[in-house]
Amino acid sequence: MRILLIMVLSLLGCSGSIDEPVSYFNVETPRPFGYVNGDEIPQRIIIETRSGISLQPGSLPAKGQINRWLNLNRVTVKQSGQRYQIDLLYQVFYAPLEVKSLTLPGFTVQLSQGEKSIGQSIPAWTFTLSPLRELVVRQSEQGEYMRPDSPPPLLANTQALYGLAASLSIAVLIAAYLGYLYGCYPNMPRRTVFKRALRKLAGLSKADMEQALTLVHQALNSLNGQPLFSNQLGDFYRRNPQYLQINAQLAWFFNYSNRYFFSDGMTVVAQDLQQLKELCEQCRKIERGSR
Amino acid sequence: MIRTIRHITLWSALAASLAAFVYNAGALYGIHHDNDLIRQLISGKDVAVNKVISGEPELRLARAFYFKQKHRYDEALSTLSLIMDKGGRNFQAKARYNLGNLYLEQAIQQAKAMNINEAMPLAGLAKQAYRQSLALNSRDWDAKYNLEVAMRLLPEMDRVDMPDDEPTKQKSQLWTTVPGFPRGLP
Repeated sequence: MRILLIMVLSLLGCSGSIDEPVSYFNVETPRPFGYVNGDEIPQRIIIETRSGISLQPGSLPAKGQINRWLNLNRVTVKQSGQRYQIDLLYQVFYAPLEVKSLTLPGFTVQLSQGEKSIGQSIPAWTFTLSPLRELVVRQSEQGEYMRPDSPPPLLANTQALYGLAASLSIAVLIAAYLGYLYGCYPNMPRRTVFKRALRKLAGLSKADMEQALTLVHQALNSLNGQPLFSNQLGDFYRRNPQYLQINAQLAWFFNYSNRYFFSDGMTVVAQDLQQLKELCEQCRKIERGSR
Repeated sequence: MIRTIRHITLWSALAASLAAFVYNAGALYGIHHDNDLIRQLISGKDVAVNKVISGEPELRLARAFYFKQKHRYDEALSTLSLIMDKGGRNFQAKARYNLGNLYLEQAIQQAKAMNINEAMPLAGLAKQAYRQSLALNSRDWDAKYNLEVAMRLLPEMDRVDMPDDEPTKQKSQLWTTVPGFPRGLP
């Protein structure tokens, strides 16, 4: 019985660590040697707390000058759940005469649990700083040797080059597509049916009405793939729905053509040829996709 | 109707891309021209002032570089002071480094002529410029080296400024003991 009691008591004694506010604490620093004047030294502090305890960001050292030779350039705190990752970036400005030991000052981070506040001290960290120059400095003609000016950089032209290439390729692509729509490629004759008809039509007068009508018929036939008559217009529209919008003009054309070829005594007026040209013009617009 | 709109859109897109092409070609020509000016300044030939005033900060940096090579310190300083806040991080670091060099060279000349009262503030300004440059770009070895030159140019002044610092005492001890140290070794 007594042994049991002792065991229970000793177990209770072991469980004391569960109550500690900080469950994990670590300071990660790089090598403690081989730094020179002007170097940046990162320091990472990782704190994991019990739930309900939070870090007081105000207790971290402030950005700026810490002492005569040490600056704190950056302070970042990343929180994920109860884990805090504090990244500090120090910069040393000190010109030692020989390898010299210096110390990043320690500080205390405040953790708060409701009203209560607990301090977690971050230990000071010692490192060595090396000189860059020899003790007896070499002399140049101007006096002490110093590094020369940094040559002024040339202006970067990559952005303009990219812009140039991009705008040029876009323009070429659009121009190529428009060229396709306008039938500029000889191996795509379907796009140029009315273009060619229109060109031929331009040279004709009202005396050549027969030739003009034949031209338009041929153009429509080649677009249709077979001879097109007025009673097949429905089929034609089904295959080329964009021509439905000039239905009235096409109907007029077939009607006129019928009368011209099959009834006697037709007198051709200049307006008829004009109307024919307009029809061809409309067809051309549809053909190149601008209507 | 939709076909008409698409057609118009295609044409306007073509016009816009051609305009962008012309604009970029102009920008590229301008950059090329400015780079020629910068090369000319680096090689030690001056260019007309109005070209620099209306130009990019890089041009001014090049002009300050030119003045510094010709030891025209005041003109270099006034040119540099106008571009301190311009450009990106690396450019600012470079401008500050060159500013530091400008001060340091004068400080060295004054110190050589034993004009300590003139040399001291110049070295201080040089240190400040190098520190700012290193804060922007801590990988600049030239700035680290020259900062050390500036810090050790007038070490006595530096030591007087820091009586509160612990390393100070050690440093002043070292100063007196180190020079005799190697000779004393067996």
